[in-house]
Amino acid sequence: MGEAVAIPMTHGLLLAAMLFSIGLLGVLVRRNIILILMSLEVMLNACGLAFIVAGAHWGIADGQIMFMFILSIAAAEVSIALGLLLQVHRRFRSLDIDQASGMRG
Amino acid sequence: MNTLDLFALLPLIILTTSIILVMLVIAFARNLALTCLLCCIGLASTLLSIAWVGSSADSGYVTPLILVDAYSTLFSGLIVAAGIFISLISYSYLKHRGENQDEFILLLMLSTLGAVTLAHSAHFVSFILGLELVGVSLYAMISYPSKGLFGLEAALKYLILSGVSSAFILFGAAMMFAVLGTLSFSEMASSAQAQSTIEHWFILIGTTMVLAGIGFKLSLVPFHMWTPDVYEGAPAPATALLATISKGGIFAALLRFFLSFDGYQYNLITESLFWIAILSIVIGNVLALMQTKIKRVLAYSSIAHLGYLMVAFVSASILSGKQLAIEASIFFLFAYFITTIGAFGVVAIMSCESQGSDKDEISHYQGLFWRRPLLAAFFSAMLLSLAGIPLTLGFVGKFYIVAAGVESELWALLVAVVIGSGIGLFYYLRIIFSMTTHTDSDEPIAIPATGGWALGTLAFLLVYLGVYPTQVVDWVSSVAKSMI
Repeated sequence: MGEAVAIPMTHGLLLAAMLFSIGLLGVLVRRNIILILMSLEVMLNACGLAFIVAGAHWGIADGQIMFMFILSIAAAEVSIALGLLLQVHRRFRSLDIDQASGMRG
Repeated sequence: MNTLDLFALLPLIILTTSIILVMLVIAFARNLALTCLLCCIGLASTLLSIAWVGSSADSGYVTPLILVDAYSTLFSGLIVAAGIFISLISYSYLKHRGENQDEFILLLMLSTLGAVTLAHSAHFVSFILGLELVGVSLYAMISYPSKGLFGLEAALKYLILSGVSSAFILFGAAMMFAVLGTLSFSEMASSAQAQSTIEHWFILIGTTMVLAGIGFKLSLVPFHMWTPDVYEGAPAPATALLATISKGGIFAALLRFFLSFDGYQYNLITESLFWIAILSIVIGNVLALMQTKIKRVLAYSSIAHLGYLMVAFVSASILSGKQLAIEASIFFLFAYFITTIGAFGVVAIMSCESQGSDKDEISHYQGLFWRRPLLAAFFSAMLLSLAGIPLTLGFVGKFYIVAAGVESELWALLVAVVIGSGIGLFYYLRIIFSMTTHTDSDEPIAIPATGGWALGTLAFLLVYLGVYPTQVVDWVSSVAKSMI
């Protein structure tokens, strides 16, 4: 076995930044609520990846602990979001976010 | 962790215990009055313990996450007191809205806990946890009691935008963590010195992303788009909570972060905060002119008020005016809490008999002075305080903001404050005038006792502290001195 080559921190952060941008783009352009929530999840997990990469660079556990918090936060957020989603589907008979846009002013 | 640490954590422990207790009681006996009573007892004993801990415990870190000091005592006291008032108003609001409304009270306590955590946070972990606790409970609160479509739409909008802003804060924190190797605010400050250019940019971009996320939550221009829709769609007590407890807790954490990290050392950030303050004041006030619904007026006025708050926040960047600026922002927030809960409380009381959406058209309030003089007087007091008329707390708050701006010699911001207040006067007075006109409608308006007393107390505090603000001023200035 050859010596393990450490991945530089910048590469990991770059990947995380790309995932974050893809997620943000998804939230902005998607009109289906489920896909918006998935994009949101991608954004949150990109943050988690960035934390893990940074934590590995410093050799401390803070990054991984933060990732666990992010996981639980995302789970809480999604559980409420799915509850709302059921309501939206029941009321509007559609999951299009533009359908649920009645307030103006 | 020793006994002293546990003693310092007493407010958080009592609040958490009472939340669990309320949750169990709801599982066994659904009774709104009982739930509300338990909630008020829990919050009141938390308030007492905050006072006790604040007066006797030494300030210091309890675990690296939580910092207990005069600042956290003041903010958590303010937040819990606001929670009591909002729960009293919610009781009156929810009473006639059908079965199974108890969880609203539970969610209210949870978001209060989140905001108290924010006020104590000195580390990104506790900051994010507090932030999400407030946010996640609010999503449910916004859509919970109303059966209308607007509540659902508002909750969905708030959920998506708040999720995105949390992701921004997290990514910004990750970038700062990558360079600095710590997530604690004060350790970040010491390792932020002596960085190379590229690392400097990392910190700058990270701080900017954190600020953008917080700007969303505080609804500052250009991140304000969601505010009017969410305020309109949410039930009035939830809006009151969103406007006060949520924003107050986040601002407390933001100010602590900026003071211990010394974010003001980056000119780019101070400069952009400067423009955010001006834009929030101008755009908030101008757009409020065009609204016909009271909740939307209050939404835009809250954007403007957060703009005034940012004036004090920016003033803290100048060293000589720092203490006064901190003092001003805390006092202004205090005045904003009382006034905003009062104003949304009136909307809640007006709508507590209606089953559907809230009564928030200005026409609903026509002739209120002839039909319900006391309620109209309370509402006028709140609106005059928002406008910053003397003898109200809002005037003292705005006076403080102007004083902080003068001390730091930020004249452009002061011009914005003056222009904004001038425009503001117009739309607040329009509502008051509409309340004085005669109307043929003699639809009865019932004022429930609990909500009525809560509003009366708020109106009394508003005027009393507006005339004799000395005690609060002394308290706030001693806290501000301890933060330097």
